[in-house]
Amino acid sequence: MRPSAEVAIFPGEDVGVSPHASAPVALRGRRPPRITGGLLKYVFLSLGAVVMVVPFVDMLLGSLRTVPERLARPPIYLPAHPQWQNFIRVFHDLPMAQWLTNSVMVTTSITIIQLLTSSAAGYALAKFRFRGRDLILRCILGAQMFPFFLFLIPMFFILRFWPFAGGNSWLGQGGAGFLSSYAGLILPFAVSWYGIFMMRQFMVSIPDDLLDAARVDGASELRIFFTVVLPLARTALATLSIFVFIYQWNEVIWSMTATRIAPKLQTVPVGIFLMRQAFTDERTFSLQQASLVVSVIPVLILFLFLQRYYVRGVTAGAVKG
Amino acid sequence: MRNRLTPYLFLSPALLYAAIFFLLPLGLALTLAFTNFQAFAPHHFVGLHNFSYLLTRDPFFLTTVRNTLVFAVGSLALAIPLSLLVAYTISRSRFKAFWRCIFWLPMATNVVAVAFEWKFLLDGPTGLVNHLLDLLHLPGPGWLSNPHLALLSVILVFVWMTLGSNMLLLSAGLESLDESTFEAARIDGANAVQIFTRIALPLLRPTLLFVMTTDLIIGLSSFPLMLVMTEGGPAQSTTVTALYMYQMAFTDLRLGRASAAAFILFLLIFAITMVQLRLLRKGGLEGYA
Repeated sequence: MRPSAEVAIFPGEDVGVSPHASAPVALRGRRPPRITGGLLKYVFLSLGAVVMVVPFVDMLLGSLRTVPERLARPPIYLPAHPQWQNFIRVFHDLPMAQWLTNSVMVTTSITIIQLLTSSAAGYALAKFRFRGRDLILRCILGAQMFPFFLFLIPMFFILRFWPFAGGNSWLGQGGAGFLSSYAGLILPFAVSWYGIFMMRQFMVSIPDDLLDAARVDGASELRIFFTVVLPLARTALATLSIFVFIYQWNEVIWSMTATRIAPKLQTVPVGIFLMRQAFTDERTFSLQQASLVVSVIPVLILFLFLQRYYVRGVTAGAVKG
Repeated sequence: MRNRLTPYLFLSPALLYAAIFFLLPLGLALTLAFTNFQAFAPHHFVGLHNFSYLLTRDPFFLTTVRNTLVFAVGSLALAIPLSLLVAYTISRSRFKAFWRCIFWLPMATNVVAVAFEWKFLLDGPTGLVNHLLDLLHLPGPGWLSNPHLALLSVILVFVWMTLGSNMLLLSAGLESLDESTFEAARIDGANAVQIFTRIALPLLRPTLLFVMTTDLIIGLSSFPLMLVMTEGGPAQSTTVTALYMYQMAFTDLRLGRASAAAFILFLLIFAITMVQLRLLRKGGLEGYA
């Protein structure tokens, strides 16, 4: 086991996609592969890759088929005349533009808010000694063990009957509370215990001397946080932001629950799920698959470009071997 | 004075959130579980009635618990060896980043799209899976319409979906092992299987246990896949407890009883996690708090 500061903070650094990949890993790559074992390895991986990719390919091909091609038995897999207009119909026949707007608004807000709350709390837990610090840290780790389904029902009521919100009286009656606006979709995800823990792990490595120097220069604590700490933490912030963005873009259970009152606020996955009754006719299957493609494409592109950060986000909280 | 309050200032958003969106809902959920709360009907305190009803008289609740356990344990039993095999193979191949990227693809995708797409693929007459079986002259079953197969189908899709994250965590563990240990074993004449089982596996134990713990919690509490693919059917064969709770709450509007169901499931998860954490601590929980 290799004791190294960077591994302790981000085990993901060592996954091999990083330019800092460690020496043993590089050596491993240079070893001449044995022919039989080597071939078997790539056959196995290729088969696996096919299983992973086929649903995405089928999704795309399915969205381009005509109705007769869709209904043919046995099924026709390559569409003779790709129906690209299915993608226009997704925007024309469905409120896809509204769903996308909602998804972008909610996901972006949650990402920005979580970056702020996670880095602030992570900073406090990493760089200050104060009463209750270890207890708070332990509670944050413990809180991650509470599954989200436990909060679904009470969260719905808290946001629905919040006093003075969304036309509610002080008793929480009369309006729809926070559930009539984006706030209802954003507030439950304003803080992430995982995000705090991840930022804390990163910020432990920021040198105390740097912060003390800024204090001696008379900078206020908030100023130090925004002008010294946050710029130093930008790698961790990038990692957290891409991780949160992809996670929240794909979140469906809370969004579905919260938008029961205001269907106008439905996000892309919720919209697609709730449209399923309108889609039971086989002739709409191509349209349905086109809407799946639209829901998958934006975040898939983002992921392919930024997957290195994503990897770090996933592995940051894990134990090292 | 200012210095002593500073950390609390930075922590205040998180503490406020913990009070409003963590402790308050927990208390509320526990309170609701002891009432017969339904959306628009008068409600009152009913003591342990919800709990006793669910555990002794509800026709489906215990079935859903059984389904939950089968789902969680089944997907764990499939996912761990498979993702370990993939992670180990990738760590010994060229183009690591490429392979990893492919296996992560489902992770970047929303569960609704995944579930709908697999519904198409597993569909009896038109689906690709049965079409391929047909080409091999094998009878294609009704993957999602057969009550004996539906849970297995959902498990397989779940394993497909989560393979990437497991593989990733195990890869991180594998990469942090010291290559010189493997070299030494190789010089001593150990073969690939021996190296894997005698050296890689024991060294990987902490990572493995971590992955197993998080996977089990996720497996026991996950329900979106079943909600979209089967809505719990056919014949309740894919209704897991969390899905049952969701439907009880937001379709039947039996919120008190649903809260009780949520707590029973939570206690089950909590008990299992505690057992696993004991194992984790024995396995050496490094760098985790």
